[in-house]
Amino acid sequence: MGAAVAAWPALLRRERLFYALVLPFAALVLVFGLWPIVQSIQVAFTDSYTALSPEPVWVGLANFERVLADPYFRASLGRTLLYTAISVAVNIAFALAYALLLGGTLIGRGNGLFRLAVFLPVIAPDVAGFIVWKWMYNQSFGAVNTLLASLGLPPFGGIADPATVLPALVVAELWKHVGFYTIVFLTNMTLLDPALDEAARIDGAGRWQRFRHVVLPQLRPEILVNTVYAVIQFLKTFTVVVVMTKGGPNFQTNFVSYYAYQKFDEALYGEAAAMATVLFAIVIVLAYGLYAWGERGAPR
Amino acid sequence: MSGPGRPGALARGLAYAIALLVSAAFLYPCWWMLVSAFRDTQSILTDPLRLWPERLDLAVLTKIRTIGGTDLSVFVLNSLWITGVSTAIAVVVTALGAYALLRRPGLPGFRLLRFGFLLTIMYPYMLLVIPVYIVIWQLGLLGTRTGIILFLSLGPIQFLLFDQFFRVLPKEMIEAALIDGCSELQVLARIVLPVAWPTVGTVTLVTFLLNWSQWFPVLVISRSPATYTLPTALLMLNSELGVDFQGIMAPATLTTLPVVVVFLLTQRRVMTGMVAGAVKG
Amino acid sequence: MDGRAMRLSRRFALGAALTVGVGFAGAVPAAELVIWHDLGDNGVNWFKEVAEHYRKVDPSVSITSVSFPTDQWFGKVIAALNTNTAPDLIFNNYERVIRIQTQTGKVMDLKAELPKEAGFLGPQDLQMATYKERMIIFPVQRVQMAFGARKSWLEKLGEPFPATWTDVLRVAAKFRDGDPDGNGKADTFGLALQAAKPRDLIHMLDLFTFGSGLSHTLVDPSGKVTLGEPCHKTVLVEFLKAFTDYGLVAPDTVNHSFGEMYQVIEGKRAGMFRVGDWNVRKWDTPEVLGGDFVIGTWPAFAPGDQTAVVIGGMRGVAVPENAPDRARSLAVAKFLLGPEAQKASLKYVGASVRSDFDMSDPGLSERRLQFAKPRHALEAYDFPESIHPWYPEVEAELHKRLLAAIAAPPEDWGAFVDQLAVEMQALVDAKRKA
Repeated sequence: MGAAVAAWPALLRRERLFYALVLPFAALVLVFGLWPIVQSIQVAFTDSYTALSPEPVWVGLANFERVLADPYFRASLGRTLLYTAISVAVNIAFALAYALLLGGTLIGRGNGLFRLAVFLPVIAPDVAGFIVWKWMYNQSFGAVNTLLASLGLPPFGGIADPATVLPALVVAELWKHVGFYTIVFLTNMTLLDPALDEAARIDGAGRWQRFRHVVLPQLRPEILVNTVYAVIQFLKTFTVVVVMTKGGPNFQTNFVSYYAYQKFDEALYGEAAAMATVLFAIVIVLAYGLYAWGERGAPR
Repeated sequence: MSGPGRPGALARGLAYAIALLVSAAFLYPCWWMLVSAFRDTQSILTDPLRLWPERLDLAVLTKIRTIGGTDLSVFVLNSLWITGVSTAIAVVVTALGAYALLRRPGLPGFRLLRFGFLLTIMYPYMLLVIPVYIVIWQLGLLGTRTGIILFLSLGPIQFLLFDQFFRVLPKEMIEAALIDGCSELQVLARIVLPVAWPTVGTVTLVTFLLNWSQWFPVLVISRSPATYTLPTALLMLNSELGVDFQGIMAPATLTTLPVVVVFLLTQRRVMTGMVAGAVKG
Repeated sequence: MDGRAMRLSRRFALGAALTVGVGFAGAVPAAELVIWHDLGDNGVNWFKEVAEHYRKVDPSVSITSVSFPTDQWFGKVIAALNTNTAPDLIFNNYERVIRIQTQTGKVMDLKAELPKEAGFLGPQDLQMATYKERMIIFPVQRVQMAFGARKSWLEKLGEPFPATWTDVLRVAAKFRDGDPDGNGKADTFGLALQAAKPRDLIHMLDLFTFGSGLSHTLVDPSGKVTLGEPCHKTVLVEFLKAFTDYGLVAPDTVNHSFGEMYQVIEGKRAGMFRVGDWNVRKWDTPEVLGGDFVIGTWPAFAPGDQTAVVIGGMRGVAVPENAPDRARSLAVAKFLLGPEAQKASLKYVGASVRSDFDMSDPGLSERRLQFAKPRHALEAYDFPESIHPWYPEVEAELHKRLLAAIAAPPEDWGAFVDQLAVEMQALVDAKRKA
């Protein structure tokens, strides 16, 4: 013990370069990462009215109890999970299918342009993009309904109808994010082993069978990575709600991060932090669970 | 039936049709934004689908000279300054941090730091910003560009990219240099840095693009539009005193165009860069 | 280091950095007072002129105003007051300042500071300014809201300005189906309303309620829920049907807040709408509506209704208890009641609390004079939030119920309202007990 303590200054001196290199990074992580998280969790256990005062009043689990008893929060959590599930499935499926199309032999010339097009929304600022989508869904002069009408199809409720708002947001966010997942797949598809596919073809395997038993297993790590990314991404859905729906219509898009932010704006810091903590826990459990599940099922 | 080695013309045609349709759908919103910036609100509302302005309505140039009483140039300069400086800090700080963490993973505190960082990127970002308000306030940086810049200097993708790069750096190279009597600092300067330039470039690009789009931290940390960036100013247009279409699409275009241009100039690098950060995840 | 000193030193550092270049060496840093409001460009211009007048009174003070969208204004003000980083002055509707007070407890009591010569403020103005015995604002602008209709559309379809709800239904249907703008497309609506947030929907209901001469939307001062009373019931049911059965509004109105509602109005899509005194200046300009609208009282729902233009609130200035320099803040707050600031307020924002000066001076249009020198009956909103502290919560609950009904319209609206009234009464009783 004493020896270990005595070794400290020596260690610090010997490795001072690496400690110096890491210091700014450590400072940023501490000040803008860990410390705020600790603060947030701490605030979740204090009375909102006093949370920011010098002597906050501790209220134990009262905020969590209030939040979990709030039917709008429970509904909000349900909508968030539902939205995440749909979005993850749709994004991964679309990205995989589109990557197979662009990564295959059918499209040669123009391939780079197609990749560019699908990736462009990823780098376009989300606020600007969603403002446009809000107009696209406008019931009276938006592109979606104008197009449907010109094709003689019935109008789409878009973000105005509680029944269609979820799919409407799924599509808008697909536009924004799917390029990323597609390129992840494409980047790794070039690494696929063509010999395996050829062998399967000689064995008389059909297109679907080859996809199911040759391509898919090889892409397993990318599917896992994409899924974890997408889960984290969509659980935190926020900007699209702020810009397009404000949680409506009829609270159908009142996702947890938006609801918590509204509580924060109303100075209900305790409840907002409690909601944040709940969502944090869900993200960790889901992300970790997916990884563990993916690692265990890996064919290696 | 198509014979082996000769994909049918039908299949090829279908594949192109799908790819073209998808691309058109993905490009359309951006194009519409650009076109609408040069049409007056009335004509946007009566003929929304037009793909080309009937005439170049340049009223927009005077219309967006100020937003909410603040000069447009303020937002442009803020965007450039905040994005530029936060990118520079992020690249330097994370590169050095990731290097140290990888070269000496066993040093006391290093493992903890890596774990702490991973925890940070798991926290719902939007909700992290709320306690950050309190921290920034405690630091006395509320309403300052410095506060915004510092907060934006910490991001997941930079770390993951550098981490991955240093991981595949051949160890023999470093060891050989150390045996030759180089100090660790010399190793960093003479061996690591020269091969790291391309990665530094990619990370810089990616960080710039990502930080340019940030609006929420900017909104939370600011105390007046004087420190708003372009995307944040865009949101402000949703005020109680009315909205005009062209007046929104013009600044939206102004917000989007710079990143699109940068992206088009550096496409492959940006795409592989952003994706590489994910694959490590 | 306290907040003021910190801000000053930072400003000093920044100022020094900026001014070194031009070789300026100021001896004393002038005090810069900051006002946070949500009035947009109109407010910014108003405060700019106020600042010019005020410089003659106290040359050491410069005034800067910052406009935020309303929801951001809330978040910013609450967070700033709670963290002792308050601005010098805040400006908004009295009920919003009440919310600031309930959530921070840091809005200064101005009772002892009210200038003696403020005789132009009536008892009702002062009641609105007072919350739990504290005068939380100086009333600066009465907020009047009238019913408006597109003039050229009425003329084209041969209709007079609608006086009753039956007129509104007929005219709205014509506006929707009769292509009043003559562009050959069915892209117009009868009414522009909003419903996204509690205050959006209930605010619109308030206007129809008070505009037809009734005195409470949801609850009376004794705590009795009024929704189920015959007259109220008619207004509520008809109001909801405008969204559903009648289909008189844009289909996405449920998502509309102020911004979107204005988009519909200013995009010349809606024939009838709310006209606030602060809207007219902008809507008179050729780029927006070019003055092509008529203003009147809200429609009557039953024969004999005393229809009126609604005084829907009071905007005023408040001083945070932790304002950096309270004495100077108070002096500016008082100045906003003076004739220069009031005249400028009428000119830029379209509202004031005094009219004891020459109206021809700001050069007001016909429509603006209707507000400046009211010629219609005025009915004041009852300001329940200054009587019942729990009112915002109950109102938010009502909003949720009404949204649900709009999303899935009940078979029998009457039964729905009766049931709603019973449930809201139970909620009110529970809140009063707590």
